[in-house]
Amino acid sequence: MIETKHIDFYYGAFHALKDVSIRIEPHTVTAFIGPSGCGKSTFLRLFNRMNDLIDGVRLTGECIVDGVNIYNKSVQVDDLRKKVGMVFQKPNPFPKSIFENVAYGLRVNDVQNKAFITQRVEESLKSAALWEEVKDKLKKSAFELSGGQQQRLCIARALAVSPSILLMDEPASALDPISTSKIEELIHVLKQEYTIVIVTHNMQQAARVSDRTGFFMLGELVEYSDTKKMFLNPEKVETQNYITGRFG
Amino acid sequence: MQGLFALSGSVTSLAIILIIIFLFKEGLGLFRSSQIEKGYVLAVNVSNPVGALDSRQIKEIFDYAYTNWAEIGGKDAEIIPFRFEEIFSIYDETELGNDYELLPGKLGELIASEPNILAFLPERYAPKENADVRILPLRTISPRSFFGGIEWMPTATPAAQFGVFPLIMGTLWVSFFAILIALPLGLGVAIYLSELADERMRKLLKPAIELLAGIPSVVYGFFGLVVLVPLIQRALNLPVGETALAGSLILAIMALPTIITIAEDAMRATPKAMREASLALGATHWQTIYRVIVPYASSGIMAAVVLGIGRAIGETMAVLMVTGNAAVMPRSMFESVRTIPATIAAELGEAPSGGTHYQSLFLLGCILFLITMVVSISAEIISKQPINKGL
Ligand SMILES: Nc1ncnc2c1ncn2[C@@H]1O[C@H](COP(=O)(O)OP(=O)(O)OP(=O)(O)O)[C@@H](O)[C@H]1O
Ligand SMILES: [Mg+2]
Repeated sequence: MIETKHIDFYYGAFHALKDVSIRIEPHTVTAFIGPSGCGKSTFLRLFNRMNDLIDGVRLTGECIVDGVNIYNKSVQVDDLRKKVGMVFQKPNPFPKSIFENVAYGLRVNDVQNKAFITQRVEESLKSAALWEEVKDKLKKSAFELSGGQQQRLCIARALAVSPSILLMDEPASALDPISTSKIEELIHVLKQEYTIVIVTHNMQQAARVSDRTGFFMLGELVEYSDTKKMFLNPEKVETQNYITGRFG
Repeated sequence: MQGLFALSGSVTSLAIILIIIFLFKEGLGLFRSSQIEKGYVLAVNVSNPVGALDSRQIKEIFDYAYTNWAEIGGKDAEIIPFRFEEIFSIYDETELGNDYELLPGKLGELIASEPNILAFLPERYAPKENADVRILPLRTISPRSFFGGIEWMPTATPAAQFGVFPLIMGTLWVSFFAILIALPLGLGVAIYLSELADERMRKLLKPAIELLAGIPSVVYGFFGLVVLVPLIQRALNLPVGETALAGSLILAIMALPTIITIAEDAMRATPKAMREASLALGATHWQTIYRVIVPYASSGIMAAVVLGIGRAIGETMAVLMVTGNAAVMPRSMFESVRTIPATIAAELGEAPSGGTHYQSLFLLGCILFLITMVVSISAEIISKQPINKGL
């Protein structure tokens, strides 16, 4: 479970997130939508502390994952990131073999057992619906895969370390329609086991894959409710305008 | 305007090609030169069956290293080497005539009377008509004796020795250890600068390091001579501090800025997406550095190494100043060695233009050119490697 309480986030002097509070239930898919630059990615990257990599940022408020404020000093960032996996907008496989890409998270976890690694790689590739396509060329470079396959490889790579939460920042925006629908199907299946938070620009996609939707504008969480309700009967006029395409 | 650039480009290429042709033409002339000093001949008694000698044999005879004709395929008799100047201690000036017109006759008598003599004479005084004297056929300097010879004595008489093997080995030896020192150090600093140092530190260090690359090598040489050489001598308790080690150290110091700058650039060019992918999987910063960033930057790092090697191999002044310049086969890091560039720099001034010594130095230049060409071609090939290969 993820919960944020009164999050304010600054890039230097720029106030990127304003008093955002949200609750995300386990085994649900939550979508964040909103115009470009409204802070969706910034918010998503709070959950695995990816924003820590940027100089001069500042955060107030609480961000609680599984009952722990992840910005507490006692929290090990690398442990947190094993629990909270992330898939990026552009597929970013390592310049390594398909197998080594998926095994990477295990190797940095000091997993030595070869049989276990092999098994975990296979499971992860199966979960990412990629196994059938790559099982005969695991030793080949990941760069030989298509964009859609690469993105599913990145999902498999994230799944290999057995996270409980999966963050996806526009995971299909760089892909063709067929690859996109494959990813969407995958999200449906993965939901059984993982809590998924996805950022998307594609309204239909949000409507198709998510249980809950949050609408951001200018750093504020304008509206957050069940996806069906959000799209059929939004409470705020800004949401209405955005969804119907009159804004953004 | 475009024409102007094209013109300057072709003029430059042409100039470079001409320089290379000139270099090789001068250098290869060595293999057409006689193995003993120009204008001189070797003469023996007609009873001596020996054939053409090679330059090493000639040198060894006049150094009294070979003392018996049997050692070089002749009969069992003591060799009596005779240098032309010695004639003046046998006869006095008046006995040789005003214009030395009697000299050939006297030389002829001498050679005729001494069956085991090997005489080294100016061609113009050689007693060619004397039936008891045989002038030995002369060979040209062979590529084998040049590349395989282990003695570099370009001014020795009667037969100069042009064995470049110790010089090539000296160059490679000093360069190899320089890289062995500079590579881990340079990589370490590059990793520190690109990954660990904060922005302020980097802004301070990077320009300072780049500045180091621009310091003239004589200055490094001075530093080496005044600081490094005495230090090595004292620290290791050696008879002299001018050693291969000093050369390698000074070269390592000189190659470091290049290696650091290029490797750091390569590592910083690793896409943010690669770092983020690694970190997002729970890898630590260090794991990300050695599992993703260094492999990703490996072609750039290789290029840095090769450029560092290139600098080391071609470097002249600093090495000349600290290695002691003994043209002997390097046997350890604690002995004096001599490199190809140092040899050229030290000797070209005193080598008479067009002579064998001069030609041999040009040929050394050709060798250096070929070595650096191999190095930069490999740099080219390596840095063009697709990064996903071999990972
Ligand atoms: N590293 C950064 N430094 C400074 N400002 C940043 C940085 N990253 C993002 N911002 C600013 O913060 C705001 C929110 O950015 P964010 O990337 O979260 O938007 P987004 O909603 O994901 O937009 P998009 O849909 O285009 O991806 C933007 O105005 C952006 O300019
Ligand atoms: Mg974004």
